[in-house]
Amino acid sequence: MYKMVNSCKKTTELIDKQTLTSLSIKERLQLYIHKSMCKTCTAYEQQSKFIDNAVWRWISNKTKPNIEESNNRKKKILQELDKS
Amino acid sequence: MKTIDMESKLIIENWVNDYSDALFSWAFYKTSSKETAEDLVQDTFLAAYNKLDSFKGNSQPKTWLFSILNNKVVDYYRLSSKTTKKTVSLTEDQGVELSNGFFNDSENWKDASINPIGTQDQELLDNPEFNKVMQHCMDDLPIHWKQAITSKYLTDKKADEICQDLNITVSNYWQIIHRAKLLLKKCLETKWI
Repeated sequence: MYKMVNSCKKTTELIDKQTLTSLSIKERLQLYIHKSMCKTCTAYEQQSKFIDNAVWRWISNKTKPNIEESNNRKKKILQELDKS
Repeated sequence: MKTIDMESKLIIENWVNDYSDALFSWAFYKTSSKETAEDLVQDTFLAAYNKLDSFKGNSQPKTWLFSILNNKVVDYYRLSSKTTKKTVSLTEDQGVELSNGFFNDSENWKDASINPIGTQDQELLDNPEFNKVMQHCMDDLPIHWKQAITSKYLTDKKADEICQDLNITVSNYWQIIHRAKLLLKKCLETKWI
């Protein structure tokens, strides 16, 4: 492996880093070069985006403002307050 | 006395309608448990009702209620850390070791084969079975990593705000997200057939 080309480990780091903060020009170039030679890391970029969507979906399922649940919760709270 | 009580009850009722959802979301985010979150919000409103006198409109009701809730969350953690057994999720060190383990000594993929998950259609996301697997994989993450990744998607906060909340540096933050994703990838590939 040429020393000037990033490892896969470093490349995956850059792939994920770039979704959160901007890469330097050098980093972007290294990323491009490695991906052009490595199918696995190119695929990783897609998978990483997929995981983003999966997590997003997982979270919004958990926190969906479920109107019925919300109303039930409010009723319950008010009932408890009435008791006190 | 009765009139004051009625007025107080009305105020609290309005607050329940206006703010209980937001309080619940926050409590749920902090505790990951619907039941616990409901209890904490319940306790918050009870406490608010009992010390309504001390409120007197000095701040926004929402702020005041959130401060009560936060104290209850802190108490909850203090109590639960004494009684909960070690959960099945990984420690951060184990997480780091695992994620490093996907790469060989030259730091390239040990297994260069490409798993079809995530590279094809996105219909999986609508599949409830897949979401169950996703749940397991999220639960397997080290707790702080799960929090970091959750706060990224749950709030509109920018990276540096999240880092302040979680008490980590920005570079630490994306490292954590990155490693968490590696673990999630592995977990999904293993558990989803």
